[in-house]
Formats: sequence, structure tokens, C-alpha cells
Amino acid sequence: MMSLKPRHVDFQETWANLKETVAGVVGLKAVDRIVWNTRFSDVYALCVAHPEPLADRLYDETRNFLEEHVASLLERVRGSTTLEQSDHNDGLLDRYVSAWREYSQGVAYLNSLYSYLNLQHVKRQKVSDAEIIYGTSATVSCPEQDARQLEVGELGLDIWERVLVRPLSAALTARIVSALHAARDAPPDPRHADIIRQAIQSTVHVRSFRVRSPLALYEQLVLEPFLQAAGEQHARTAAHLLQEGDVAHYMKHVLAGLEREVSLAQRYLPASSREAVRACYERAAVAAHLPALHADVDRLLAEASADDDDAPQRREDLSRMYQLVRPLGPAALRPLVDAALAHAQAHGHALLSSALQHHKDEVHIHFVEAILTLHGKYSKLFNEVFGGAQAFMGALDKACSAVVNSRSGEEACRAPELVARYCDWVLRRRPAAAPLTDVDDKLTAAIVVFKYIDDKDIFQKHYARALARRLIHQLSYSMEQEESMINRLKAACGYEFTNKLHRMFTDVAVSADLNAKFQQYLRDNDLTLNTGFFIQVLQAGAWPLGGPTAPLAPPAALERPAGLFEQFYRSAFSGRRLAWLHHLCTGELRVRYTPRVYHLTASTPQCALLLSLERRDATTLSEARAAAVLPEDSWERHVRPLLDIGLLLPGADPDELLLNLSFSCKRSKLRLCASPGHGAAASPPDPPQHRDDDRKMYLQAAIVRIMKQRKVLRHTELIQEVVQQARGSFAPSVAIIKKCIEALIDKQYLERAPGALDTYSYLA
Amino acid sequence: MSGEDCDGMDRGDNDGPKSDKMFTLKKWNAVAMWSWDVECDTCAICRVQVMDACLRCQGESKKDSYGKQDCVVVWGECNHSFHFCCMSLWVKQNNRCPLCQQEWSIQRMGK
Ligand SMILES: [Zn+2]
Ligand SMILES: [Zn+2]
Ligand SMILES: [Zn+2]
Repeated sequence: MMSLKPRHVDFQETWANLKETVAGVVGLKAVDRIVWNTRFSDVYALCVAHPEPLADRLYDETRNFLEEHVASLLERVRGSTTLEQSDHNDGLLDRYVSAWREYSQGVAYLNSLYSYLNLQHVKRQKVSDAEIIYGTSATVSCPEQDARQLEVGELGLDIWERVLVRPLSAALTARIVSALHAARDAPPDPRHADIIRQAIQSTVHVRSFRVRSPLALYEQLVLEPFLQAAGEQHARTAAHLLQEGDVAHYMKHVLAGLEREVSLAQRYLPASSREAVRACYERAAVAAHLPALHADVDRLLAEASADDDDAPQRREDLSRMYQLVRPLGPAALRPLVDAALAHAQAHGHALLSSALQHHKDEVHIHFVEAILTLHGKYSKLFNEVFGGAQAFMGALDKACSAVVNSRSGEEACRAPELVARYCDWVLRRRPAAAPLTDVDDKLTAAIVVFKYIDDKDIFQKHYARALARRLIHQLSYSMEQEESMINRLKAACGYEFTNKLHRMFTDVAVSADLNAKFQQYLRDNDLTLNTGFFIQVLQAGAWPLGGPTAPLAPPAALERPAGLFEQFYRSAFSGRRLAWLHHLCTGELRVRYTPRVYHLTASTPQCALLLSLERRDATTLSEARAAAVLPEDSWERHVRPLLDIGLLLPGADPDELLLNLSFSCKRSKLRLCASPGHGAAASPPDPPQHRDDDRKMYLQAAIVRIMKQRKVLRHTELIQEVVQQARGSFAPSVAIIKKCIEALIDKQYLERAPGALDTYSYLA
Repeated sequence: MSGEDCDGMDRGDNDGPKSDKMFTLKKWNAVAMWSWDVECDTCAICRVQVMDACLRCQGESKKDSYGKQDCVVVWGECNHSFHFCCMSLWVKQNNRCPLCQQEWSIQRMGK
């Protein structure tokens, strides 16, 4: 039974026994359990010996023993090899790994045999890791050089490095590097692969207990020499490949080489080295030949976007180039992005100029389709080839935006008008025989193009005018589509952009209800009308309906319905003014004096003019004007269509109009009103002056809104917020915002805050 | 055109070609425009047109585009008019018309 009491111990005798067991453990010989236990006690006894503890002596003797042991292992490993050569198959690596396996395992056992010494003796002297790292004990000599502070297992590894690895380091490096080099071309058999791995692993393991740079030995012995040799090898291969064939050939092999290199690192090197291995390859094979790669970008882009049989091949090439260049960072990728932009833009301009050559009645369709083709083609290409990377999608956006907003000479940009006309074309009702397919897709397409428009406020004006025509004259294909398009615009540009469009739409919905209530009102009051009647009541301010029109006298037949409706409206609402928009009203007339009945849809003035011929066959223009039946400028809009279809005939006097008593026409349904649909969407664009005034109004309103909320704001912040708010509509210049601020100061909405020149405050 | 003539017409889509009238008016598609019956079309409190929703409602209706319906106009005894929303906040601080300083009392509400 072992005693825990400190006692006198004979060191020589105890160590002699212990040493025998230590030799057995380190040599991986079987050690009897009882013997193990006895030696374990011996270690304890020596450490607590009386009167002097013998731990230091034990430690020194153990170190001496291990140094001798490793020296003998060195002889075994070296054998009769010529160290200067580098044949990795000469047996040195085999012997090294076999000695390492035995020793590293043995030393691990030894460490547990010396548990007590490690725990009680070494720990006390060990400087804490934190102190080593943060240097609070900087004056103490580096603890890792003082072997006394290592546990016995660590001591064993340290001795392995000092006694065995140092003398062999050059020989080991040469063999490991050459073995890795061979493994790159042909994987070795599993046994050899294992030897290479373990030899490399030993250089990591030997220092794994160290706090500071535990990988230094591995890096010095394996990684750096390997990268050095690999870099040279890659450079040679790359040069050779470039001589051998074109860039496509080069990229194909380089990409395969890169994969091979990464997989080599995966199989043999610690995970932390993979990036370095990859970077080494990329430096030698990609970065060094970047100009050669970049020189081919334009050609590849042109061929990859062509429609021939070679294009798929070129797309693969381009994709390889992207994979190779991308890891080198944005600067290396820049020429690809720039070329992609230039290419898409040039193609876009070509598409655009051929689209604009179409007849004016269908140029809007070709315009939108051209931009869509451009967008579709290159987003597909960039997704396939560049993985949809942000840089390239951004380049595509830039290209589309440049094409959409391009203008020829002084002419205003046509996109706002053309896209609005496209929307009108899609949303308009059409004959059942010629339906439009994929309305939803077409609206989505319109939004795609719309998003690129800079002057969205101008688009909005065109759109609002066309919407007003569709709603008032009931020309919409479907109200659901109308609403869904307004919602799409709102999603793209925000509430303010579509506010008026929504209000127009709402007015139409409310009008349906209003007509039903009016009819109910008539029934409740036992009233009847003399004609069919349908009314739309629009709110002022939301509709782009042009300037005020001269007051007109409606035909007598309309006085009763108009009067009854006004009566009803006054009873249903309060505080409202109602004004008739006679120039937008239409009447449906029957022509009864002819053998065949004709159905006419005519403007109110036309109705009035025709109804005034009820009891006579002729009238004069001046008479009609005097009775306020015809507005002053009405010839083109109202009289000309009646002459054109031959219902009226010019009299001998230019002022005179005669009713054609023998009128006949092939069609029985005739639309006479200055046709609201046709060519109307092409109404002349606002003169630039008008547009600028609108923008100033918009900006002033935005400034007032912002200042009302913030009360006091610095100049730069105010500018920022205004730009932010306007962004959905147009891009205002700082100069114009400044002018608007000045105007608002003059109008006493704002003032410069006293004592702070760059700050404004709101005047309530 | 007299009332009985009109009533006669109203009955018939089926009146034959032998009618003694030259033209008959079958239906009138009328368009009218309404606006608040105000002297000044801008609300002096929020400086937005009274036909538009007030600033506050515009802010709140960014989600709901139909919010406009509820932002009506109110007339004081002095005949000045404002957004109802604006005026109800105003009178909490100062029970006078912001334009003429008369004591504020509501004459009528828009509807
Ligand atoms: Zn207001
Ligand atoms: Zn409000
Ligand atoms: Zn007042």
C-alpha cells in the first residue's frame, strides 16, 4: 500500500526503476498495470520527498532520458538515406511517420504517468496564458524557452522538434513538397497518402500546445515552401497554356487547375491553409494574366449575346472568366462590368432607333417592346453568365436608363409620353374580334420600362389625361385592370404620385352609386325624365380637363334632367358647387326622317344643333353661336364631323348649314363627337416652361409639408428631404430647390432663423 | 320640345321608323364637376387646396388611397372655410377664425 506521507526517498534507486518503465511507455511496450501504479506512486513520492522535494531532479532526468531516446530515433529515421536528395519515395518519410506515431503516442501515455508532477510542480511555475499574450510578464524570459515550465507531454514534443525535426527539416520539406507536387497530378495510393498527411500533421501537432503562433513550424516547414514551389509551377503552366491556345482554352484549363489545387489542399493541408493555396494559384494563373483576359471581354460579350450556334459556348467562356476574375475583387471585375454596360447600352440604342422608325400610331408599342427585349435579353444573359451579380444587374439598369431617357438633339425625351400611350393602348376597350392577350403581362412590362423613366412627373400627366378620357368616355377594357395599374404605379412611386389617379378612379366608382340613388330619388318623388340619363360627377382638382370652357346652353331637351339632377344633388350633399362640363357630355340620338334609323353619338353642341333643325331644314353658324348652342371655336370639333358624314350640307352662304334630307350611310351606328380616343393620347406635350412651373409648384408644396412638420431645419437637410420626396417624380436640381425656398421666404411661409444663416423656420 | 313629346319618347326603344319626329334623344351621358363652395380654395391652416385632403390626412392615407372621402370642409359664421380636420385642431388652442379673428362658430359642414 502506498503511503501519502512525505518520507525520505532514495532518488537513484527510484529513478532507476522509473526510467525502465518510462522507456517501456515511450517505446509503446506493454506495461503491467501493477508496475504502472507503482511508478505512478514513485513520481508522487519523489515530488513530495522529505526533507528536499526531488521534483526538479526528476524533471531534469526525464528530459535527459527523452533527449537520448529521440536522438536514437533520429538515427533510426535517418537510416542510410542521403538527406540532400528529395525523392519522397526513398523511405525517409515512412520511417519518420512510423517513429512519430510511436513516439507521439508514447509521450501522451508518459504525460499521464507524470500527472502529479504536471499538476503540482509544473502548474505552479507556469505563467498564465493571458500574461504571455498580453505581455504583463514581459520582463520574465519567454516561458516557452524554459523547458521546466512544460508538462512532460509537451516537453516530449518540444524535444522531438529540437532533436529530431531540426536536423531533418530540409530533408522533410523537400520530400513533403515533392510528394504534394506528385499528388497534384496523380493521387498516390492510400497508404502513401496517409503518410504524407501524417508527416504534415506532425508539424502542426508538435506545437499545438503553444499559445503563440502554434502553426509557425508547419508554415515554415510545409506551407511556405509548398506555396513557393506551387507558385512557380503555376506560372509555368499558365505561360504554357497561353502559348498553346486562345483565351477560352486557357480559362477552361485554369479553372480545372484551380479546382485541382483546392482539392489538393483539402486532402492534405489544414483547413486554415486553403485560402492561401487558392490565392497562390489565382495570383499566378489569373492576376498575372489579367490583361490578356480583359482583352477578350468585348469579343466574348458580343458573341455570347448573338443568336447563333456558338453563343452557348461563348456564354460558358464568359462565365468561366467571371468565376476566375471575381475573387480578385471589384477592380479586376471593373472592365467586365464596364464592357457589359457599354454592350447592353449600344444594343439598346440600336433597338431604340429601329423602334422609333415605326409609324406614329404604333411607335409606343415598338418602344416598350424594344426596351423590354433589351431588359429581358440582358437580364437572362447576366443571370446565366454572371450569376445575377449586383454589379452586372446595376450595369443593366444603367444601360436601360440611358436608353429609355435618351433624346435626339433638342427634342424632349419621348419615353414618358410613349409609355403612357402604351398603357392607354393596353387598358383601352377594343372590339371583341380583336382582343388583346396577356394584358397583365403587358402592364407588368409597362412598369418595367416605366421604372427607368427619369421624368416620371411628365409620364404622370400623359397617363392622367389618357385615364381621364378612358373613364369619362367609358373606354376602359376593365375597371379591375385600371385599378391594378394604378396600384402598380403606386407601388413603384408612392402615394403622392398616384393620389390624383386614385381620386379619378374613385369618382367613377362613386358615380355608379350616385346614378342609382338619383333614379331612386326620381321614383320616390314620382318624377320622370324625358330621356335616358347617366351622369358622372368628378371632383375638381383631380382631373386634367384643360381650361375653363365657355358656358353653353344645353338643348331644351336636357334642361329637365339637368335641373332634376341638380335638385337631387343639393339634397344629397351640402357645401358643394356643381358645374356642367358640356364639352364632355354626349347624347345618343336617333335619326328618324331617313328610311333607315341611324344611331348617333354626338357632343352636346352637336345634339343642340341637330335638335334645332327639328322644325326647319337650315340654320346659320352665327345664329347657333348667338344662342350659345355652339361654342366660339367649335367649327373643327363639332360642325366639321357633321359635314364630313354628310348629315349637314354647306349652304350657298358660307355661314349657312342645311340638313341633308336624303342622308344615307353604310353604317347605322355613328360616333360624331370629336372622337375622344383617336390620336388624343398624342396631344401635344406641355411646353417646357409649363413643366418647370409645375415642378416648382410641386417642390414648394413639398417644402411647406416638410417645414410644417419639422418647424426648424438646416438648409442641407431640407434639400435632402425635398430630393428624397421628389425622387419618385423627377430629379430636382439644388438650384431650383433654392429658388423655391426663396419664393417661399418672399411669400412668408418660411424665414431664415435669426442668428443662423443656414437654418430655416416655418411661419405658422 | 314639350313635356308630352318627351314622355312619349322615353317609352320607346321600340318606336318604329314611322315616328313623326326628325330626331329623338335617347340618352344623355352627362359629365359635371363638383367643388366646395368656398371663397378661397386653399385652407389657410395647412395651406393645401381644400379639394385635396389636409396635410394630416394625406400623411395618414399613404396606405389607404381612399382616405380623401372623410376630409371635408367646414364654414364658420364669418363664411371662411377650412378643412374640418385642421379647424378642429385649431380651435383647441384658439377659438377664433385664423383669417378674421372673429369667435369661431360653425355655420355648416361640407358633405
Ligand atoms: Zn387644412
Ligand atoms: Zn383631413
Ligand atoms: Zn373668418
